[in-house]
Amino acid sequence: MTGQAVIGGIGHTAFGRLPERTAFDLEVEAARRTLEDAGLEPQDVDGLITDPGPSQGILDGITPHYLALGHYLGLDPSYTGSDILGGASSAAIVQRAVLAIEAGLCSVCLCVYGDSALSSPGSFGYGRGDDAAFGLFGAVGIHALAARRHMHLWGTREEHLAAVAIAARAHAARTPHAQKRDLLTLDEYLAADSIVEPLKRPDCCLVSDGAAAVLVVAAERAADLRHKPTRILGHGQASSLSTWSSLEHFDELPAARCGPETFARAGISAADVDVAMLYDCFTIVVLMQLEDYGFCGKGEAGAFVTEGRIGPGGELPVNTSGGLLAECYGGGMMHVIEAVRQLRGTAGDRQLDTPEIALVTGHGLGMNTHSTLILAN
Amino acid sequence: MSSKDQQTYPLPELSAFTRPFWEGCQNKELKIAVCGQCSHRFMPGVPNCPKCWSADFSLQAVSGRGEVFSFAVYRRTYHPAIPAPYVVALIQLEEGPRLVSNIVECAFEKIHIGMQLEVCFQEEDGFMLPRFRPLETPPVDTN
Repeated sequence: MTGQAVIGGIGHTAFGRLPERTAFDLEVEAARRTLEDAGLEPQDVDGLITDPGPSQGILDGITPHYLALGHYLGLDPSYTGSDILGGASSAAIVQRAVLAIEAGLCSVCLCVYGDSALSSPGSFGYGRGDDAAFGLFGAVGIHALAARRHMHLWGTREEHLAAVAIAARAHAARTPHAQKRDLLTLDEYLAADSIVEPLKRPDCCLVSDGAAAVLVVAAERAADLRHKPTRILGHGQASSLSTWSSLEHFDELPAARCGPETFARAGISAADVDVAMLYDCFTIVVLMQLEDYGFCGKGEAGAFVTEGRIGPGGELPVNTSGGLLAECYGGGMMHVIEAVRQLRGTAGDRQLDTPEIALVTGHGLGMNTHSTLILAN
Repeated sequence: MSSKDQQTYPLPELSAFTRPFWEGCQNKELKIAVCGQCSHRFMPGVPNCPKCWSADFSLQAVSGRGEVFSFAVYRRTYHPAIPAPYVVALIQLEEGPRLVSNIVECAFEKIHIGMQLEVCFQEEDGFMLPRFRPLETPPVDTN
């Protein structure tokens, strides 16, 4: 099932506050950089799948995102579409590209995330349907409820959440393009403003303008690529759409199904993972994924992260470019790109010592969606 | 939610699925749905039983008692009509289903998971919302 598609190109724009740039302008730049990295030409692209990001989705009430972007890129692909799985979308569109290539529907599939979320204010603070009547706004409220559950069930403390934020900033300090390159101390964390208790500002991801793309290519075209291709050992998805009515919804993520199932299909276990790019919209999600993927037992993630395991030099480096918490909000595509860089050995000052297997995850909406990629050099 | 007027309280938009629940609230009655096929109890607002997909269900008024499943204290204002600080909570009703609401009439530092609550109806722009406050005479706390 796997082995027929590889990642052959990566590219991204600057991230941060870029008010003079539209999301499409950024996405076109990311697409161009990705083709340059791959050494391929626009006419080689016969697949386009997009992750429109939190502030785009359906445009003008009728135009789907892939149609607008495909128009700007002048593409007439054999296979196209957009996925709207929130933060699980980026890994999910790479998965969809793999499936399309394995099915023979296309052979060079461009997967693009982009958004101008920072310059489109309010896009992260949306009301959650009728629950907005009770003040439930933004993804932060839902994750605060999950964090409180974790604290109640497992004795998790704010120092444990802080350890995730501190590790992210330590990684980002070695990442030239990261938005937050200054280190964070525990005292600074504890003194930070609460947004929605128990989550403080450093528990929350950045908001960014920017775009990122990867090129998924049929393995038989690997000889045409400029870089050694990154193999895709496995991919998965799991969702919890029943939301409030699911008794487990706040106590574990769909990752608890997606992770072990994807590991099994790839023929690996958590112990084989050299570096993990865990979707980190909020610190609590990193703790929950460490447990749900089996890197530690249920309830043990707090202790796991405070022992320095996920920071630079740790036994399981997590989000070596700083992730959503410190690098940028790159949808989840920047997690894919960082995994490719580490596996290629082109991660600069933050390069790990010859990692062979990288885990990439995506997590979205009201903790509803989850996606997994397992990449290898 | 409507964003027509950011100053207006963000009330629920009544649909065919949600109207019976909210009409109950206007009469100060909190209702859950009970499936006629499999007896599953769930929050109204969906067209069929989420367990067995039967459309044969009825709404029943409940005790209004429940407990805190989780809670979050908003320190940042997201909507001008709902100024921070306020508490959003997941309430586990005595009868089983879970819903999102607010905890009111209680100091934030006293709120804890498992705390016993009862529903109280509060008006926003002429519309009754079911919120929860500490149960008047709480049973013996076994924590």
